[in-house]
Amino acid sequence: MSKVLSWRGWLVFAALAALPLTPWMSKYYMLLAFDALLFGAVAMSLDLLMGYTGLVSFGHAAFFGIGAYATAVLLERGVLSLWLCLGFAALAVGAYALAVSYFATARRGIYFALLTLIFAEVIYTFFRYTQTFGGSDGIQGLPSFEVAPGWAVDAPARLYYLVVTYLLLAYLACRVIVRSHFGRVLVAIRENEDRARFLGYNVQRYKMAVCLISAVLTGLAGALYPGRSAYATPDLLHWSVSGEFLIMVMIGGLGTLVGPIIGGAFFIVLQEKVSSYVQWYNIVVGLVLVLIVLFVPRGLVGLRDALRGRSGREAAG
Amino acid sequence: MLEVQEVSKNFGALAALAGVSLAVREGEVFSVIGPNGAGKSTLFNVISGLHVPSAGRIILRGEEVTGLAPEVINRRGLAKTFQITNIFPGISVYDNVRVAAQSRASVSGRLPSLWRRPDVEGPVMELLGAFGLAARRDDLAQSLSHGEQRYLEICLALATDPALLLLDEPTAGMTPGETKDATALIRQIAQSRRLTVLLIEHDMSVVMGISDRIAVLHFGEKIAEGPPEAIRSDPRVLEAYLGGADE
Repeated sequence: MSKVLSWRGWLVFAALAALPLTPWMSKYYMLLAFDALLFGAVAMSLDLLMGYTGLVSFGHAAFFGIGAYATAVLLERGVLSLWLCLGFAALAVGAYALAVSYFATARRGIYFALLTLIFAEVIYTFFRYTQTFGGSDGIQGLPSFEVAPGWAVDAPARLYYLVVTYLLLAYLACRVIVRSHFGRVLVAIRENEDRARFLGYNVQRYKMAVCLISAVLTGLAGALYPGRSAYATPDLLHWSVSGEFLIMVMIGGLGTLVGPIIGGAFFIVLQEKVSSYVQWYNIVVGLVLVLIVLFVPRGLVGLRDALRGRSGREAAG
Repeated sequence: MLEVQEVSKNFGALAALAGVSLAVREGEVFSVIGPNGAGKSTLFNVISGLHVPSAGRIILRGEEVTGLAPEVINRRGLAKTFQITNIFPGISVYDNVRVAAQSRASVSGRLPSLWRRPDVEGPVMELLGAFGLAARRDDLAQSLSHGEQRYLEICLALATDPALLLLDEPTAGMTPGETKDATALIRQIAQSRRLTVLLIEHDMSVVMGISDRIAVLHFGEKIAEGPPEAIRSDPRVLEAYLGGADE
């Protein structure tokens, strides 16, 4: 049995951990790195669905947003414990994901995508128009998490380490899952759902389970977000955010886990850098993405593999 | 082993099956033949759970399975191959059979399956070896030749360790030479694994050589049943085939 994480993988995480020690990591870059890695983790969670199971979710913003609101509600009421916030977010997102996945996985193909989108829009509308949650302003001016009483995650470097830790744990979890018995059934479902049923697999249960895992991982990332932004707003749940998550996975490389992390980070940095120069940054970002899809259809990881001359998609580990 | 009792299946106004009854005994090779459109594949789809019959009952190993889902019926000991090759094209030959074999691992369907990786290397390689696919274990399934894909499909079904194997035209699209080899191989594997086989076949030469008993379907009805010699000389069968201008 090969190791869950190669020495190269550990090296990358060691480099990420050492990054704040370098002199050019200003607060600005620390927070940009926070966003890049956080959304990289979200894209990786979505890859479990898209790349491994062949299910396209247009509603991941809802999982992210519910996680963020769960944290915001607690922080607003003075419950600062990071662990309580994460636990509450996981429960809230998990409950919602169970309901969505039950209905969405009852139908195939485009219906799955549509149902996840519709549910997410309902959640968006709910937060957008419910005054308890601040309506369109959301919940603003939140305090920082505390890992332990008196130990607040307030400085950019601390936030950065928080997200690196989360990414590492989530990545290890995903790696174990895709290489497990369960992960191989997911790939079988992607390849040929009917055949999987005739081999004795209850396909809907597997789809619901992977939706739940992907949603909770996304929700936990969402729960970390107010720690950096100090707010949760309905914009986080907007359908266009779900679209951005899909793009992150696509540009990184479907079914590779690492690819979507890179894709998510790339997308965030590109968007931030271009938007600091021009108002119409979305046009530039869109253009770059079109070029990637046209010329590197297997994503950034595919580019690396093409250069090395081997096939890209990690079929089943 | 399998009892099909007065099973009918209607698609709208079309009666694809009209009161068909069969009894397949343990350990035998039972074939269902008939011209195109006779209802053979529909019969298989009803037995394996893809379609719910309009009327009638299906008893598998003494338990009624009428209307159960395919994944449930598979776990009761029935595995099926398809007329049109139905494999996992984008993963390796080995991974194809592995995912089939591990569905019988004790961990399957339980929480530890999220991190455990049941070891099924032995049975997988044994199956690939028996069908001459061992050397191609790391190739993508879609890169196999047509004949090899047909074999891989049988491997998938066998990997779930069935008591009853349903083969839907296993030699479809094979050359006469391949058909002969395949027929011999199926017969041999059925014997060595003590399998009961229910076979749909179009090609009379395959059926005659391999079957213990044969049933003939024509326009959704069973018109004859018996050992190969009796079927060969049955006037109704001859008429159905000649009338259908099939052979």
